[in-house]
Amino acid sequence: MRPNLIGRVAIEKNHGTMSSILVQVIVGGLLLGAVYALFSSGLTLVWGMMNIVNFAHGDFVMLGMYVAFVVWTLFGAGPWAGAPIAALVLATLGVVVYFGLIRDIMKGPMLAQILGTFGLALLLRYSVFWWFGANFLSLPENLVGGTFDIVGLRIQASRLLAGVVALLVTLGLHLLLTRTSLGSKMLAVAEDSTAAQLMGIRPDTMQAIAWAIAAGATGLAGALIATFFYIVPTVGETLGIVAFVTVSLGGFGSVPGALVAGLLIGVIESLSAYLIGAVYKDMVVYSLFLGFLWFRPQGLMGKM
Amino acid sequence: MRRWLWLSVALALVVAYPLVLSTPFQQRLGALVLLYAIAASAWNVVGGYAGQVSVGHVVFFGCGAYAAMGAYAHFGLSPLVGIPVGIVVSVAISAVVGVPTLRLSGHYFSMATIAVAELVRLIVTNTDYLGAAVGLSGPTVPRNVFDLSFISALPYYYLFLTILAITLGITWWMVNSRMGFYLRAIRDSERAARSLGAPASRTKLYAFMLSAGLTSVAGALYAMMFGFVDPESGLGILISVKILIMAALGGAGLLFGPLVGAAILVPLEEISNNLLGGKGAGLTFVLYGAMIVLIARFQPGGILTLINRVWAKRNGRMPKTEAARGA
Amino acid sequence: MISKHFLGLLCAAAICVLPADHAFAQEKTVKVGAVFPLSGGSASAGVHAKAAIEVAMDIINNAHPEFGNFPLAKSAGFAGLGGAKVEAVFADNQGSPATGQNQTLRLITEEKVVAITGAYQSGVTLTASAIAEKYGIPFVNGESVAANLTERGFKWFFRVTPVAADFARIFFEFLADMKAAGAKTDNVAIVHDTTEYGTSVASVIASVFKERGQTIALDIAYTSNATDVQSQVLQLKEKKPDVVIMIAYTSDAILYQKTMQSLDYKPPMIIADDSGYSDPSFIKAVGKISQGAFNRSSWSVGPPGSPTALIAEMYKKKSGDDLDDTAARAMQAFFVLCEAIDRAGSTEPAKIQAALKATDLKPDQLMMGYKGVKFDEKGQNMLAAGLIIQLQDGENYVAVWPKASAGKAPVLPYKGW
Repeated sequence: MRPNLIGRVAIEKNHGTMSSILVQVIVGGLLLGAVYALFSSGLTLVWGMMNIVNFAHGDFVMLGMYVAFVVWTLFGAGPWAGAPIAALVLATLGVVVYFGLIRDIMKGPMLAQILGTFGLALLLRYSVFWWFGANFLSLPENLVGGTFDIVGLRIQASRLLAGVVALLVTLGLHLLLTRTSLGSKMLAVAEDSTAAQLMGIRPDTMQAIAWAIAAGATGLAGALIATFFYIVPTVGETLGIVAFVTVSLGGFGSVPGALVAGLLIGVIESLSAYLIGAVYKDMVVYSLFLGFLWFRPQGLMGKM
Repeated sequence: MRRWLWLSVALALVVAYPLVLSTPFQQRLGALVLLYAIAASAWNVVGGYAGQVSVGHVVFFGCGAYAAMGAYAHFGLSPLVGIPVGIVVSVAISAVVGVPTLRLSGHYFSMATIAVAELVRLIVTNTDYLGAAVGLSGPTVPRNVFDLSFISALPYYYLFLTILAITLGITWWMVNSRMGFYLRAIRDSERAARSLGAPASRTKLYAFMLSAGLTSVAGALYAMMFGFVDPESGLGILISVKILIMAALGGAGLLFGPLVGAAILVPLEEISNNLLGGKGAGLTFVLYGAMIVLIARFQPGGILTLINRVWAKRNGRMPKTEAARGA
Repeated sequence: MISKHFLGLLCAAAICVLPADHAFAQEKTVKVGAVFPLSGGSASAGVHAKAAIEVAMDIINNAHPEFGNFPLAKSAGFAGLGGAKVEAVFADNQGSPATGQNQTLRLITEEKVVAITGAYQSGVTLTASAIAEKYGIPFVNGESVAANLTERGFKWFFRVTPVAADFARIFFEFLADMKAAGAKTDNVAIVHDTTEYGTSVASVIASVFKERGQTIALDIAYTSNATDVQSQVLQLKEKKPDVVIMIAYTSDAILYQKTMQSLDYKPPMIIADDSGYSDPSFIKAVGKISQGAFNRSSWSVGPPGSPTALIAEMYKKKSGDDLDDTAARAMQAFFVLCEAIDRAGSTEPAKIQAALKATDLKPDQLMMGYKGVKFDEKGQNMLAAGLIIQLQDGENYVAVWPKASAGKAPVLPYKGW
């Protein structure tokens, strides 16, 4: 192990600026965590509703990013147009994927789901690779109004927008599931699809709707992340594993859980990167995650 | 009786393969199929028979690979010496990891194993003794036959075939022992198995440890053949997934399932890479991904279940689940 | 009971692997294998290298008198082999040491290539060159920098690129010159990833600086392909180093520059170590907010009409991107290999190996800013060198150091956006 001692000594010397920088680190972590929550909400929804692990989830985010990029190159439009279009495109794709693949592999064992969605991940990733090439792409810096200063804190507008949308999406999904009849029907199918069918609910329709919503939210997330991240066909690999950890920490199927877990991971990553060293931040997150599962095997807000 | 006849014909074909299709690339392809079949069969012990879908088996694969290369790089010994070391370390890690994680249900177990694998990869990437990000190399110029560094893939082929036979033999023995009986009961319903007095936790842990030990042998063999291991190639999560999908695609929980899966996926990947990879347009994985999607869509239980069903139909009897699982 | 179908599968697999028919192989082409990562996380670099080698093939196989004395350009094909054409057979190593070795074996035994070039990542180059060594096929590498590659006692491995120790020397001497010109350079920070490239370059820089009496004040290591780098930038912002040396691949490089802008952090001087900062995608993505960034490179476009300008133009036409240092180094390695084949006047591996050992190219015979190409007994190019370029006015790097090859003077401090 390579301890990053020099960095730590430096921090201890500079007490004057440390507290303001520490606040910046925490705020940055919260905004990052909101983004994690944003691209995990779709995953937790299908995971909880259908007990499906979507290994292609990261690649759904990637597709959302590419849609935003295409919208920008064709029409010069920012995320105001790109995000809704990405949500629509991905929702359509979600329905297609549900009827073309998921409906059938759900009948098989869990392994078939990993097999099918992993194959789908490769198919999506390399179809994009084939069409757009391997180059890194990026949207212009100031598409969402640059960065502003609030009492010495630097807040990037694009990240703030993503954070606010994350809260809205979480709230929206939560209300949909708990306060609407559509939500109750979807939960009924998730609980016991045979019983739901006897009550006149069509499981196929409900699950297709769930996939549309989940994929749409993921597309929205991708389009917003594209405003401050780079875009490349393999970006889903980087983001997918973060989404997995966020969702399992929050509890499968719990949308508020994903938000809390996302924020938590964001802050822990930022703080540990700043205080211990950036090399250790992922180790800290994985260790805490494993330790947490020891005490609460169902995640933060999940049910057994 | 006919079953044994066919099995011996198949065995004869497998033994004869590298002599008939004898170009260096064909021999190497055969060896690779067997290598991945060993890894996937080892995974099958816990992932298929016990129904505990581990996505972190690369940890054990990496243990074997690092032990083999470490024996050479640090002590100048034959990489073979690393095999028992790798087994011991893997079994120890699997016990430590297995006790807390095996009580997690379904997807949580899978996620926990992913986290363990990523954690180990990150730790090794920052550990100088294990070569950190640079990795460890084996003997580039073989000193003697025990370095297992050959130009031809033929010795690897027969070595791997022997190890695969041993792995399948151990699996077969386990399936037909009391442990196999417990495992099937646990896989079908853990609660029912527990209430009938099957020692569920212990059985699962034993299966996990056995699987870990066997996987580390596959890792050691891999490192000897390629003469190198680094965190990405020895501990990357993609290797776990690759092993898992081979078993799943052939038929998890079936003795020959992983072998069938490896015999389909390894040539598919290598040959599509040969034909399409040089174009640099990513078409290799478009084809590879599409094939996996199709198989998952139309044969979610794996290729071997289809074959078993067709076979049973031709013989005019219903497929017996026991027979299908046992053999 | 399953065996019959298993047998069928085996037969099917067997048919798939029957060797391709080579009856049509023309006598007048010389096949050279090119193993690069054409898929996976490093595909961007591999695809650029492929385009660069295709341009090199054009230059070698067609008559290009406008190139003047540049080797192999004047006439069509290899003069030493009666005008035979060179054909690069590309293979995808997927960024995996195993696949790299498999594909190298296939190129040697099935495609019958006479030599190999590649394979970008050092780990892949290591396994791929090991199989070439066993078969006795020359392997010429243009872009892998791990120190251990030339320490294995190989007889068939040749490396054209400069390595970490060369980079470190360039950085040190450049900073000394800047200090003499009045810039503050005492407080140096290194930011690097923990890949084999990042750690080895960072540690060599640290030790070279230490030997010459300068310590590295801040060492920030991070895991490659990060999702966020705010904390690292804030550490820099707090410590206020005079010089920040960035060692990062494209993904992280883009993220660092974006984050520096959003956190309003401008170090007085940024020096990047090639790779990510050289990628044309990097310049397109964040060039506008990285004005004044220095970069280590061995490639720079010369005056109009010079071979390098012609190459840059041909490459842009072919791929749509600007030629970057990594692809250019791969291209240079291909030229070095082809020049040796031409001089050997034979496609026999042993003769090519002998010709490679006798290689002695002068700077005007090269497209890169090396002092020449001459291999030591380990196969390392002794004359490999580099220069410092700077992102000035808009989206182009210009050579600023050393003076002999500088197009413009270095501009300080770092301007950013």
